[in-house]
Amino acid sequence: MSAGRPRQLAGGEARTAWWLMLPALVVMAIVAIYPLGQVVALSVTDARFATQRVERAYVGLDNYRRLLSLTVRELPPVVDPATGRQDLRDGRLRYESWVRILPREPLRYAAAYEFSAFGKRWVVGATSPAFIRAAVDTVVFTVWSVALETILGMIIALVLSAEFVGRGLLRTLMLLPWAVVTVVSARIWEWMLQPTRVGFFNTLLYDLGLGDGNIGFFQTASMQLPTMIAMDVWKTTPFMALLFLAGLAVIPKELYEAAEIDGASAVRRFTAITLPLMAPAIAVALIFRTLDALRVFDVFQVVLGGQRYSLASYTQAVLIDQREVGLSSAASVVIFLIILVFAVSYMRMLKVDTT
Amino acid sequence: MSWFSPRITTLPVALAVMLAGALAVAQSVTVQVAVGAVGTELQLHRQALDQFMADNPDIRVELLETPSGGTDRLGLYLQFFEARSADVDVLQIDVIWPGILEEHLVDLLQYGADAVVGEFFPGSIANNMLDGRLVAIPYQIGAGMLYYRTDLLEQYGFDGPPATWTELESMATVVMEGERAAGNPDMWGFVWQGNAYEGLTCNALEWFASSGAGEIIESDRTITVFNDAAIEVLEMAARWVGTISPVGVTGFVEDDARNLFQAGNAVFMRNWPYAYNLGQAEDSVIRGLFDVTVLPSGAPGEPNAATLGGQSFGVSAYSQHPEAAAKVALYLASLPVQTLRAVEGSFSGTIAALYDDPEVLERNPFFAGLQGIFASAVPRPSTVTGTDYGAVSRAYYTAVHDALTGRQDAETALALLELELESITGFPTGQP
Repeated sequence: MSAGRPRQLAGGEARTAWWLMLPALVVMAIVAIYPLGQVVALSVTDARFATQRVERAYVGLDNYRRLLSLTVRELPPVVDPATGRQDLRDGRLRYESWVRILPREPLRYAAAYEFSAFGKRWVVGATSPAFIRAAVDTVVFTVWSVALETILGMIIALVLSAEFVGRGLLRTLMLLPWAVVTVVSARIWEWMLQPTRVGFFNTLLYDLGLGDGNIGFFQTASMQLPTMIAMDVWKTTPFMALLFLAGLAVIPKELYEAAEIDGASAVRRFTAITLPLMAPAIAVALIFRTLDALRVFDVFQVVLGGQRYSLASYTQAVLIDQREVGLSSAASVVIFLIILVFAVSYMRMLKVDTT
Repeated sequence: MSWFSPRITTLPVALAVMLAGALAVAQSVTVQVAVGAVGTELQLHRQALDQFMADNPDIRVELLETPSGGTDRLGLYLQFFEARSADVDVLQIDVIWPGILEEHLVDLLQYGADAVVGEFFPGSIANNMLDGRLVAIPYQIGAGMLYYRTDLLEQYGFDGPPATWTELESMATVVMEGERAAGNPDMWGFVWQGNAYEGLTCNALEWFASSGAGEIIESDRTITVFNDAAIEVLEMAARWVGTISPVGVTGFVEDDARNLFQAGNAVFMRNWPYAYNLGQAEDSVIRGLFDVTVLPSGAPGEPNAATLGGQSFGVSAYSQHPEAAAKVALYLASLPVQTLRAVEGSFSGTIAALYDDPEVLERNPFFAGLQGIFASAVPRPSTVTGTDYGAVSRAYYTAVHDALTGRQDAETALALLELELESITGFPTGQP
């Protein structure tokens, strides 16, 4: 009897918990699981957007094949028939164009990347090079922006958790970039980063003797991602700082006092007290930001449009410009899977799910 | 209880008022018009519609502002149509959209357009006719034009605008370098629309068509993008970037080019007619210092080419009030409204009589030369490609953009483009 009661009690609690969660589960099923299932179902068809003329057909995994097929081929060097040696152009060794190297049947491949390794030239061919590039760009964007935002956000949170006059005001000011609508802030940055001296940054750098006043921040391929990352860091660091401030607030002051009496250095206090006690807050912040960054759409769409895509803006372009509901649904499913991988590995790494 | 009696007497009155209101609502219909809001566009639509509502008290017209970027606006329309929405009745439609949207638009010939189509430019009407149905009424026609600084060309000893692209390149270089040496480091030779969007398709089509490099997809359904002339002309344009045009030109849209030109910092500009009136405004520093002409050709023997642009009004097939909506659409395209738009906003209309109106010509002296520009107009391959046009244009401007930014050389970009257009359309390839 005495052993049965707690079990009964636990069983009763679990039942109550399920009943209490039922409304939430129903809502989840309606707003999340049903639409997701719909997208998965569409992703195996050749459905077209906004037309009733074309019959929808089941195409199996064709859309996924079109998105994800990759191949790596070697580019043979161009040999000058006169000298029998490899051709040079502008001092660089010449290789055959990938156009004749990559396969065309049954699906046509185009170059996503070219690189040199083991003294040879290679090409990465993809059936949707724009999608592969969008995936790589989005992951690079996510890793860099989240890493920078975490470090800067932590520094700001540590500074703002100290007590000084005007702290409240500073905390409010800090939140300003986060409060601006992304589309608006993207336009503001676009103005400041104009590729001529109309833009603030080009004028500033020119006056400082840097650059020729015509730096194309959004037009030069090598500067596009760093610029996007910088804009995102400016905007989202306050959000990270805010989450970290909340994490800092729950650490009891006595711990620091005790550590100080024991003679622990500031660095030691940070690594032995602050970091471990803030781990849950950091985990939540990282998950939030990473999943957000992987879905990035607005800044890419506003600033780069068709010049360079994120995963989400590529999906939108396929849906609206190409009107391929099936293909864009498949792309959405791939994004969902990428996010899932990140989310699960975070949960594992930071042990969020262990109670 | 003295407060009770007035309430009893007011009740029937209130009911009567409400009933009358309901009857009035039942009689008048509301028509939603989706329009763009670039420059003075929105204000002119509003001005015209105020007059319309004064003449037609039974129709209420509301304007729905849509994104100014063409691609975004089309995306919004497609979402309306996918949902078969009755929320929008009349839609402002780009010259390349009739083929894309045709199944969602009513035949205006069934709603009184047959009485007026004779007044319009036949080309504009033909563009909007699909299988004998007039799916939109054209109210504005545009074409790419060359804007040039008359004062600077004269100062550097040129007698007129360039006839060929090579001439433009060399004239731009001379003036740009001279002006920079004279103390304006922000001077550029030639500004145009090089961002990866529909506008680049328009610009590049002009280079191609004026150089014997084909018109992307010909009217006989042949893909003609991969040829020596095309490679050469694309290499030429890629050479402009960073020399006579700023590096940033590969991110320019219409207003970026206009801002630079209107600030006096460019010798030549490719743009649509709308930039003329803004450049001649009171506060413009180039007022009276520029003129417009046809775009250059590839070589002395080659034709001039101007990409055909334009706007129409169509009526949604899902509208609850197609008669009232068609009335609004036809009114917005009528001669009085086109005259208003020409006088107030230098918008070039689609009715030939407009170009004989002395008031219009006085406000827009360049209208006299427009007929010649329109005669050289080249349509984009939107009719032959139908619903695939969006994908075709995206493939084209992406390839051109890749060549301009140096991601790929012109030859590779065009070779790939040819394969891509083949798989989108299934058309054969050929030489122009």
